[in-house]
Amino acid sequence: MEYWNPYLETLPKDALTKIELAYFRNIFSFAREHSRLYRDKLEGIDPEEIRTMADLKEIPLTEKEEMRRYQEMEPFPYGGLLAGDIEEVTTFRQTSGTTGKPIYVPETYESWQWRIEAWCHILYMAGFRPRHRIFLPFGYNVYVAFWEAHFASEKVGCELVPGGALDTKGRIHKILEVKADGLMNTPTYGLHIASEAKAMGIDPAALGIERMLCAGEPMTTATRTRLEELYRCQVFDHIGGTEPCAWAAMCGERDGLHIIEPFFLVEILDRETMRREVAEGETGVAVVTPLGRRSFPLIRFNTKDLVRKMKDVCPCGRTSFKIKEVLGRIDEIRKVRGVLFSPKTAEEVIRKDFPEIEEFEIIIERLDLMDVITLKAEVRAGLSVKAGEETRSRLENGLKIATNLTFNVIIKPPGSLPRYLLKAKRFKDLREGMTHE
Amino acid sequence: MNEQIREEIQRIEAGASNLKSLAEGNPSVVRNAEIILSFVYILKFITPNTDKEA
Repeated sequence: MEYWNPYLETLPKDALTKIELAYFRNIFSFAREHSRLYRDKLEGIDPEEIRTMADLKEIPLTEKEEMRRYQEMEPFPYGGLLAGDIEEVTTFRQTSGTTGKPIYVPETYESWQWRIEAWCHILYMAGFRPRHRIFLPFGYNVYVAFWEAHFASEKVGCELVPGGALDTKGRIHKILEVKADGLMNTPTYGLHIASEAKAMGIDPAALGIERMLCAGEPMTTATRTRLEELYRCQVFDHIGGTEPCAWAAMCGERDGLHIIEPFFLVEILDRETMRREVAEGETGVAVVTPLGRRSFPLIRFNTKDLVRKMKDVCPCGRTSFKIKEVLGRIDEIRKVRGVLFSPKTAEEVIRKDFPEIEEFEIIIERLDLMDVITLKAEVRAGLSVKAGEETRSRLENGLKIATNLTFNVIIKPPGSLPRYLLKAKRFKDLREGMTHE
Repeated sequence: MNEQIREEIQRIEAGASNLKSLAEGNPSVVRNAEIILSFVYILKFITPNTDKEA
């Protein structure tokens, strides 16, 4: 069977819209009745008047900053974000806190199962079936992504091998021992496993991975291609977050990501006005409403993810609308010497044309009133000094062409930069007032 | 979507609600009935009637 839910995934577009608007009115009413945040925020708006996608634009966006304020209220630790009785909460999750105090996310049994059902679409689109044995090389901790992957794998019927309490070498041995043919990891860690395998004298392609699903951090096309070449397997991406859930994923075409409709109502808004829906091919900010998750309702959540809208028609036959991969986050876009810069552009250059670079780090500083952008590039073992110098020179040129900025590139020896299991922190803006890393 | 499927989901919902009432004082049966109702919520969500969701 091609689809996890053939009925939902092939509904005509107008039917999907009709269902999503009806579900939106339901979750809107529920949120206003049960959540302190939305009791305050949505006062005076009649859900019955929400009849078209244009009507949605009159409803205020939900921002992470206000969620942090409401979280401080009772009941601890979810405050005014919780909808319903705290005794019904069965699972605690939290955001990574990359951009400030973490958000604590309560899931009831029902809401957790709703998330898992949405995640089953991600796995099925990526071709995972009951015959697959999936290795998950993480201890999941309080972060949601791999817990969802775990439960959804079980629900789809795959055989899940949790590989948390092992080091990378141990995980490589375990993949070989159990003959796992599926792998779910962050793109960064996928690259790291490949690098470790090579150091152990094992070709990553010989690990036997047939398909890989990445989570936890945005993945550029060049990084995905690099992973596919290393493992000689199909690599799939998806996009989501702890608060809005995982809301879009790649199908077998591996060209853009389908919105998981009608679980999510996703708007792609012009970043200047945050009101106008962008046209096909245009870039905008994703605003997401999970339409059935009741314990922690979110109405028009501003994800701050920058994505490009694609045309709807996909050869896979799914009728949901599509986006290109995540281009970056609004809060990662920086103005350097008057030029807008996204770290994702630099990553694209490195992963596409510099296989000799194993890891990298970008630092922006202000020295003598001048913005300086430095890229530390860790090269693979065995690269000669002369080859390293050539890499440095080619990289400076490549980055200049791609970003219109002059980089100070520093070649670093193997093993000198940090490795990340979950969200990689490769970007640091050390200028005054720019605390984001 | 076959209307019979939706009717079957409603029957499961009625049965699980009934079970929950009958089993008052037995946390195990009550909780299992509640879990069935959680899945009923999801089953309803994934089988919307496009004629009625107006």
